[in-house]
Amino acid sequence: MSKYLKINNLSYTYPDGHKALNDINFSIDQGESICVLGPNGAGKTTLILHLNGILGNLTGEIEVDSLKYTPENIGEIRKTVGVVFQDPDDQLFMPTVLEDVMFGPKNFGYTNEESEKNAVQALKMVGMNDSQDRAPHHLSFGQKRKVAIATVLASKPKLLVLDEPASNLDPASRRDLIEILKNLDISIILVTHDLPMALEICKRSLILNEGTIKEDSLTKAILQNEKLMKENRLELPYGFAFHHLGEE
Amino acid sequence: MYSTTHSHHLSLHEESILKNIKPEHKILLTFFIVISIAFSDVESLFQITSHILIVFSIVFISKIPLKTYLKRLTIDIPFILFALFLPFLSSENNDVIYTFAGIEIFRTGLMDMFAILFKATLGLTMGIVLTAVTTNIEIIYGLQKLKFPQIIIAIMSFTIRYIDVFIDEFKRVKISMRSRGYKEKGLKTLFPLAYASGAMLIRGYERGERVYLSMLSRGFNGSIELKERKYNNSIILIFLTLVSVIILILDKYL
Repeated sequence: MSKYLKINNLSYTYPDGHKALNDINFSIDQGESICVLGPNGAGKTTLILHLNGILGNLTGEIEVDSLKYTPENIGEIRKTVGVVFQDPDDQLFMPTVLEDVMFGPKNFGYTNEESEKNAVQALKMVGMNDSQDRAPHHLSFGQKRKVAIATVLASKPKLLVLDEPASNLDPASRRDLIEILKNLDISIILVTHDLPMALEICKRSLILNEGTIKEDSLTKAILQNEKLMKENRLELPYGFAFHHLGEE
Repeated sequence: MYSTTHSHHLSLHEESILKNIKPEHKILLTFFIVISIAFSDVESLFQITSHILIVFSIVFISKIPLKTYLKRLTIDIPFILFALFLPFLSSENNDVIYTFAGIEIFRTGLMDMFAILFKATLGLTMGIVLTAVTTNIEIIYGLQKLKFPQIIIAIMSFTIRYIDVFIDEFKRVKISMRSRGYKEKGLKTLFPLAYASGAMLIRGYERGERVYLSMLSRGFNGSIELKERKYNNSIILIFLTLVSVIILILDKYL
């Protein structure tokens, strides 16, 4: 069966000589969601930027939705793969929420009417339709995060990539976010330190550490493997128990 | 993370007929009135009085509170201070009109002083009214409608968007400095603030790069378009601008 996203022998070295990714190989099926776990500085954000064809100069191969990462395909790839960045203030830069959410669809060739329709629909999906005319910098952090997700959903991506979406969120906003992600009918690559969230959203997880994939298996199996977790500087929250999820 | 402070906009909440009219008209008409004031002849009583009448009618219909207007007019102080020296300095053919305790007052200087006081005050008043009845975003939108270069529009729009983020970050840096015992006292203690400002500059640059990456990932291709907005036309502002320009032309050329 052909895979939706294929990454073969991906390596990347920053111009200052720092080797961020080293021989990455993995693939995902259509509709499948995976988590990328790993300590700080493991290369997770670099991997995300590659998925969107932003960094260039990579060695290896990436293919998404049968599109190879070539300069001619970059526009279509960016439409297919939507990235929600870690800091919503980096993502929201237009004067109003609606204009920000319309920015992507307009660039990807939707008409003004279609862009507005997509934007309103995306804002409804994240529960922020009442804030259309507000300035993004007047929103709370949790609201900014929801709008940042809407900015990407409005372009109707087939693969959604989220970089640390739960960081700095209060528990209720985190729960809202989990529910939003669970209700999306597209593939998700979730980069997070929030292990319970990873367990809730993705059956399968990768551990990325020092630029290489250390493990690719079921999320639950990874979280239950204490040795593997410790080796990769991962830890479950204090008091966390698997029986919360029907496990003994 | 600290919450973002809400920006302090110059635009007022008071409803007026100038509030919901096309921002591009407001900008263009303000520009014409200011140009008309700048080119007016201060020796013509007709021009002076009619321009004062026009500008203050606009102030009146803008419903800007007197206190707010006067507070914002303090920006005029440097012009006033400069103008007050002119009667003693500026002369043409030694046209002394009065001498007091050896200090001479020249007619040219007096006229120059009056010209600056009149033009600066009325010009600034128009600027105050424009910013009081137009939000920052509307001004950008108006400039876009007036076909200002995209790059200028983008820079202005980013400045408005990120100034609060930048100020908030700097506030957090200052709080963290104070929490480690820093006190602003004397020139020497300004050094850490200078270092912090340098760090903020680097951070600003880095954020700029991140924003650009996030724009690229959403297909940015060089143009930023704001959404169409609906505004009314203002007959009264167009009328007053026409009067202002016609007064200038009539008095100058007839």
